[in-house]
Formats: sequence, structure tokens, C-alpha cells
Amino acid sequence: MSAHHIIPMKTLISTTVALVVLTIVTVAVFYLPIPAPFDVVVAILLASFKATLVGMFFMGLYYDEKFNTVVLIFSFLFFLVFVGITLLDTMFRDTGISVW
Amino acid sequence: MSASSTTNGKTLKVRYFDIEENPTEHYLNAETGLKSWLFTVDHKRIGLMYLASIALFFFVGGVLALVLRTELFTPAENLMTAETYNRIFTIHGAVMVFLFIIPSIPAALGNFLLPMMLGAKDVAFPRLNLASFWIYSIGALFTLASLAVNPIDTGWTFYTPYSVQTGSAVILMTLGVFIMGFSSILTGMNFIVTIHKMRAPGMTWGRMPLFLWAMYATSIIQVLATPVLAITLALLIMERTLGIGIFDPALGGDPVLYQHFFWFYSHPAVYIMIVPAFGVISELIATFSRKTIFGYWAIAMSSLAIAFIGSLVWGHHMFVSGQSELSTVVFSFLTFFVGIPTGIKIFNWLATMHKGSIDMKTPMLYACIFLFLFTIGGVTGIMLGAISVNVQLHDTYYVVAHFHYVMMGGTVMAFLGGLHYWWPKMTGKMYNEFWGKISAVIIFIGFNLTFLPQFIMGSQGMPRRYYSYIEQFQTMHQLSTIGSYILGVGFVIIAVYLAHSMFRGQKAPSNPWGARTLDWMTSSPPAHHNFNYQPVLNNGAYDFHKPIADFTLGIAEDDHGHEHKGEPVKQQEQNA
Amino acid sequence: MAEAHSVDNPRLLHHFRNADQQFSSSKLGMWLFLFTEIMFFGGLFVAYIIYRAWNPELFTMAATQLDTMLGAVNTVVLIGSSLTIALAIRAAQTDKQKMIVNYLLLTIFLASVFLVIKYFEYTHKFDMGIFPGAYYTFDGIDHPKANVFFSIYYMMTGLHGLHVIIGIGLMIWLVIRAKIGDYSSQWYTPVEMCGLYWHIVDIIWIFLFPLMYLIE
Ligand code: HEM
Ligand SMILES: [Cu+2]
Repeated sequence: MSAHHIIPMKTLISTTVALVVLTIVTVAVFYLPIPAPFDVVVAILLASFKATLVGMFFMGLYYDEKFNTVVLIFSFLFFLVFVGITLLDTMFRDTGISVW
Repeated sequence: MSASSTTNGKTLKVRYFDIEENPTEHYLNAETGLKSWLFTVDHKRIGLMYLASIALFFFVGGVLALVLRTELFTPAENLMTAETYNRIFTIHGAVMVFLFIIPSIPAALGNFLLPMMLGAKDVAFPRLNLASFWIYSIGALFTLASLAVNPIDTGWTFYTPYSVQTGSAVILMTLGVFIMGFSSILTGMNFIVTIHKMRAPGMTWGRMPLFLWAMYATSIIQVLATPVLAITLALLIMERTLGIGIFDPALGGDPVLYQHFFWFYSHPAVYIMIVPAFGVISELIATFSRKTIFGYWAIAMSSLAIAFIGSLVWGHHMFVSGQSELSTVVFSFLTFFVGIPTGIKIFNWLATMHKGSIDMKTPMLYACIFLFLFTIGGVTGIMLGAISVNVQLHDTYYVVAHFHYVMMGGTVMAFLGGLHYWWPKMTGKMYNEFWGKISAVIIFIGFNLTFLPQFIMGSQGMPRRYYSYIEQFQTMHQLSTIGSYILGVGFVIIAVYLAHSMFRGQKAPSNPWGARTLDWMTSSPPAHHNFNYQPVLNNGAYDFHKPIADFTLGIAEDDHGHEHKGEPVKQQEQNA
Repeated sequence: MAEAHSVDNPRLLHHFRNADQQFSSSKLGMWLFLFTEIMFFGGLFVAYIIYRAWNPELFTMAATQLDTMLGAVNTVVLIGSSLTIALAIRAAQTDKQKMIVNYLLLTIFLASVFLVIKYFEYTHKFDMGIFPGAYYTFDGIDHPKANVFFSIYYMMTGLHGLHVIIGIGLMIWLVIRAKIGDYSSQWYTPVEMCGLYWHIVDIIWIFLFPLMYLIE
């Protein structure tokens, strides 16, 4: 059954190499003069990419039942809901809204 | 016979099984001694232990409620000071929410029923299930310890900054709730995995009893939202010990952020309370109307819809907290959407009853009471979701009446209905139908007398959480107090006749109500491993037009070597 | 409780139909648990995001007190430990009993390196008076909410560190059981589950690193 997939050695090694390289890139990008919001965006994108690699190959989601991936993605979306809606409050405390 | 099953491609040999009436061996006497209960991994026994615990805490919370109502009989200081009053309403709320209502239907009825309804021998992780009961007990001990040390006076919501300043035992109390949260998470995880992986052959998603759909939606909320409560309380504890300043304005923090964190869990938590009740009501109404449930998929999916939409509306508790106007508008808008799936359920239940042959047994009486009371609770919730109304009614008795109509009128009534419905299955004894109906009526009257006046008082401006009031409200308060005593009498009657039935009650048949779900296709009380055969499903859970015998199919070979008195009714091959 | 039902697989619990059902149940259960971990840390990430959005300049100033080099080294250390635990699972799947133990020990070693580095980071800050919350006495950052930044820093890295410690405990237990030959390609569920747990600990750090150490 696919749940017992043995992950090839080559995949494990290349995933690790990719992760280390991406870590170096992350640090390198930090020293580049990227304007304010985009430096965070780039850093988060790189981190997400690294997390995806870990999830797919180390945690075996790539070979696993798809429902487990659904669970993971869902938890991430749920977190976004928490942040997103809370920001609707905290970022607009003093703005108020004009009456339509 | 049409054939379908989860085991793809294999042919299952099935046959009919006879269900033993009045078995001499069952889960209650399979093992004896205190240890056989405390360390059992049998989901049925764990369910009963939860049942006993929540009954105890319901009693504790109930007595506290009567004490509060007695204090409110007159505006004077009858029994206690304002400070004591604050402590008692806090404990009443926290006990009722965290120790009683959240574990009530999921952990007690859910544990008992879920594997049986699926045709499984147990939940996926029986030891984890036992651990979850013990974690609940340890958490309960912490909350009780907090009562011994210095009873907390913050209200069940533990709002900062007061919860950081008060001298009462906030840490012990919140630690208790924190620990109980893990129990809730583990139960939810266990149920999701069980529903996904342990369904009997032929138990497709579309054949699951609606109670299981409700439990599935509930479990998702439990797993999603409870960790946020955990981190919230952990931060609150850190706030008190280290002064981390995230929620405490004196240290640069933001108390409204605490409210976001708290309600991000606690609004979904009200759906942890009510969605299982919806599940119970679906079973009751279908069985006692003798009709295929109307709108099976609508009811099933609306449970999930409620779980999802319910996760987006927490800010309707914070309209006057100082959150931004923008978010207030968005939260109000989203709140109205919760009414849609809820309404869908109500209409489908009514449609099921329409032209059904209704048998008004006690459980069905509770289901009708539920429909009546919950609708009032739900509609007043929608009213509170309207910003302008809310600004007027926030923190008044109107809100108190709203949530008692949904929690007591909704969840507790459904729980009582379910308790009576499954009592024969759990204990093997019938309760007394006459007293059952009498007490249901008493509870209905007592409940309305207690809480209807609170809507009126609230709309006239009576604020909540005060031990005294201006004279104008005295009549209403006295009506309410008298109602609460009547309510108390109703519960005492239930306790007496249920206890009596355990010892003197008539023996229950295996399927006293003629239901079609798998939990009734085993003896009352059930065997140690639920069934003496591996059930196989060929029909929907509400196919009342088919004979009951059609629902007792099982795998022919997998007989566990037990002897059966019943001859195979008919041998047949099923292409699975 | 472990009433073995089938003779050929003593690990099969009686209420499961077969080993595949049992294994995939455990795995789904574990994923749901990881889900709760994400939401548990999620609360802290929300606090982080909100305070950063409120006080961007504070985060830039405060991050200068964190050592990017040490953070980067720790990131690589954890990535390495993720590899070694994946290799331990592989060793179990291919019946290399001895290698299970070795890879687990290597993972424990890397996890300890992580903690040692963290220990030096923490003590260095304590020496300067950078304590969490109300105990904060450092005056090198000219911002009224500097204490809040470090509260968040200590809560996040502290909770993460606690998870690392728990992970080490779990792996020690796995080593003991692997030594008596409990795990093989027939049954290695605990190793697999511990691996999943360890990877999520790694993933959380992958996010913490740029969010804490790399702010300009
Ligand atoms: C039809 C869906 C519902 C809507 C739209 C709704 C709406 C609301 C609103 C707007 C409030 C805030 C009132 C205020 O404090 O100003 C509230 C309070 C409350 N609701 Fe509901 N509600 C609904 C269903 C439920 C259910 C099913 C339960 C529980 C089983 C529940 C339990 C509560 C509780 C406990 C409070 C008071 C919390 C507190 O401040 O202590 N509600 N509801
Ligand atoms: Cu709400």
C-alpha cells in the first residue's frame, strides 16, 4: 500500500541539499536592499517553499493518501482566517468608516 | 439486492443474524470491579463514565444557579455579598460550559454511540480515548482546586486586564480549562479518524446516520479551535506570572486582542455545544416520525457549513469592545449567514414530521421542545448580530436569555431526549414513560418561566452580572426565580425515575423504538465488542419502509467463533 | 488491551480489520494532531503579525539583538536532523535494525546541538537584562514596547524549544525500543509518527528563523 512507500535515498539527499541552499539564499536576500513590504514577502515565500519540500518529501505527503495533504492545507487556511480577520480590526482601529 | 461496500473488488459472503434479546452477557457485566471501569478501553464504558461525570457537574452548576436566582429574588443582599455573587456566577458559567456542556453530547453519548453506529468494535484509538477521560478528570480537579484556594471572579470569559489583576485563583482555573481542552481535542481526533477509517462494509458516507455527520462536524471544530484556546490561556497564565504584556495594557499590550483570541475559540465552541444536539434531534425526529428523513444531504452538509461559517463570526461578541468599525460591520454581516444552515435544518426536520406517523414518546417530546426553544434562541441570536440592536442589548439579560435558550433549551433538551432514547440501549432497562412526560412538561414550563422574563428585563435595560437591581425589575426577577425552582423540580424527578429504572425498570428489548440505525441492531445492553458479527450495510439509515430484518446483515465467516441461536435466514452472495 | 487477533501479525489490534487500516488510521490521527500544533503555534504567530504590523520600527530595532549567524546555523542543524530521522524510518522500512538506532542517536545529537546554541543565545540576552515581559531591564532599544517584542520572542522560541525537548524524549524512548528489536518493516508506526512530529518542529523553525532573525 502506498502508505508504506520507501522514499528513495536520492530524494532525501537532494531535498536536504535544496533546503540548505534555500537557507543560504534566505540569508543572502536579507542583505539585499529590497524595499519594505517585499523583503518580508520574499522571506515568507522562501520559507513556505522550504516547508513544502519538507512536507512533500520528508513527511511523505507526495506519496501518501491525499486526504492528509488536505488536512495540512486546511489548517493553514484556517490560520489565515484567524490572522486575516483579526487584522481587519487591528489595522483599522482609528480609520473608522464613512457612512454609505 | 444492490451491492456496494468499502472493500473494493472483494466479494463478501453475508447472512442475516438474529439479535439476542435480554442477553446474559453484555458489556456491563463482561468484567467487574472498580478497576474494570477506571481502566477500561471500551468506548461504551468510557461513555458512561463521562455521563456520570457530566451529571455530577450539571448538578453542581445547577445548584449554583439556584443559589444565584435565590439571591436575585429581591434587590437586597439576601444570601451573599456582591463579591461572592461574582465568584458564584463565574463558577456556574465555567462549570456549565467547560465541564458539562462541551463534553455532554460528544463525550458521553458520542463515545457510547459512534463506533456502534459505524458498525465498528471500538473507536480507532481506544487507549487515547481512556487517556482523554483521565485528562478531563485531571483538568476538573484543577478547577475544583481553584475553588478551594480562592474562587475566581472574572466571569467565564477571563477577560484581561481584570483577570491579570484579580487576586482570585485565575491560574489554577485556567490551567484546568487548558488541560480539559486536550481531552476535547483527543476526543475530536479520535472521532474523525474513526469515521474515516472504521466504517463497516457498505457504510458509505451517504448511509451514515445524521448523528455521525453532526459528530464529524463537531470534531472538526474541536480539533481546529481548541488549540487556540490552549494558547490563549497559556498566554494569560504567562501574563500573570511573567507579565509578558501581550494582553495587558499596563505593559503595552492590547486587551481587545485577548478577546479576539478567546472568541476565536469560544464562538466555534458554541457550535461544539449545539451541533451534536442537531445530530440527536435528527435521529429522534426520523425514528418517531417513522419516515425517511427529509433532505438527508441538506442536514448533513449544513452541519459542516455551520462549522465553517461559525469560524468566521467571533467578533459579534466584541461589537462594543473598541474593535474597528470595519471589522464590526464584517462580523455582523457574516453572523447573519449562520442563520441559513441553521434554518435549513429546522425546515428539514419539520418536513420530516409532516405527514409522518408521529409517536409522541418522551424523546420525541423533548425533540419538539427543542424545536420550539432553540428557534427562539437562534432568532434572538440573529437579532443580537445586528449592530444597532446589539449596542443596546449587549451585557444585558437579553443576552443571558439568548444563550440559555440555545444552550439549555437547545443542547440540554436534545441531550435529555437522547438520554431517554438511548437509555434502554445503555442500561438494558426502560425508563418510566409516564414520569418521563410529566417531567418534560414541568421542565418546559419552568424553563420558559425562568428565561422569558429575562428577555423582557434585558430589553428594558437590566444589565447582566449584578447581584442587585432597581425595584422596577423585581416582578420579572421573582418570576424568573420561581421558574428556576420549577425547573429544578423537573430535573429531580428525572434523576429519581432514571435511578429507579436502573434497578426496578422493565427489561428493554433490543430495538424498542423500531429504529433502523446500527446501534439498535445489537442486544440491549450491547455485547462487549458491540456486535457478535461484523455488520454489513445495504440500506440507508432511515429506510423505514424496509423491514428491520434487512438491517441485520453481517459477514458470514467473521463470526468470532461465537455460537448463535439464530439460524441463517438466507444465505446470499454480495458483490462488494 | 493489545489483544492480538491474528496470529501472523501480533501488532494488529483486535478492532482493526487489517494492518493497513491500522497504519493509515494512526497516520491520519497524527496529521490531525499536527494540525492542532499548527493552530497552537498559530496563536503566537497571530500575536507576532499584529504587533509587527503595529510597530514595524520596533521589530527592526529589536532584531539587531539577535545573532543571525547562530539562527542560520540552527536552521541547518534542524534540517540535518530532519534528514537523519527520515533515514531512521528508511532503515526501519528496509529492516536495518542497527541503523535505526544509529540514525535516531544522530538525530538526538543534532537536536541537542540546537538546544545548546539556544541556551547560549538565551543566557547572552539574560546577561544584558533582556528578560521576558515585566522583568525586562535592557535599555539599548529606544522603544516603549521593546519588552513586548522579547515576550513574543521568548514565547515562540520557548514553546518551540519545549517541543524540541519533548522530541528528544520521544526519540530516547524509540532508541530503547529499537534496541530490543521492536521495529521492522512489518511494524514501525512509532518511528514514523515521531518523524512526522519532528518535521513539523523543523517547519515551525523554518518560519521562525526569517521572522525573528532577519528583519531589516
Ligand atoms: C443562530 C445562531 C446564533 C447567533 C447568530 C448568535 C449570536 C450571538 C451574539 C451576537 C451574541 C453576543 C451578544 C452580546 O454579548 O452582545 C451571542 C452571545 C452568546 N451566544 Fe449566541 N448566537 C447563536 C447561537 C448560539 C448557540 C447555538 C449558542 C450555544 C449553544 C450560543 C451561545 C451564546 C453565548 C454563551 C453567548 C454569551 C457569551 C458571553 O458573553 O458570555 N449562541 N450570540
Ligand atoms: Cu457567538
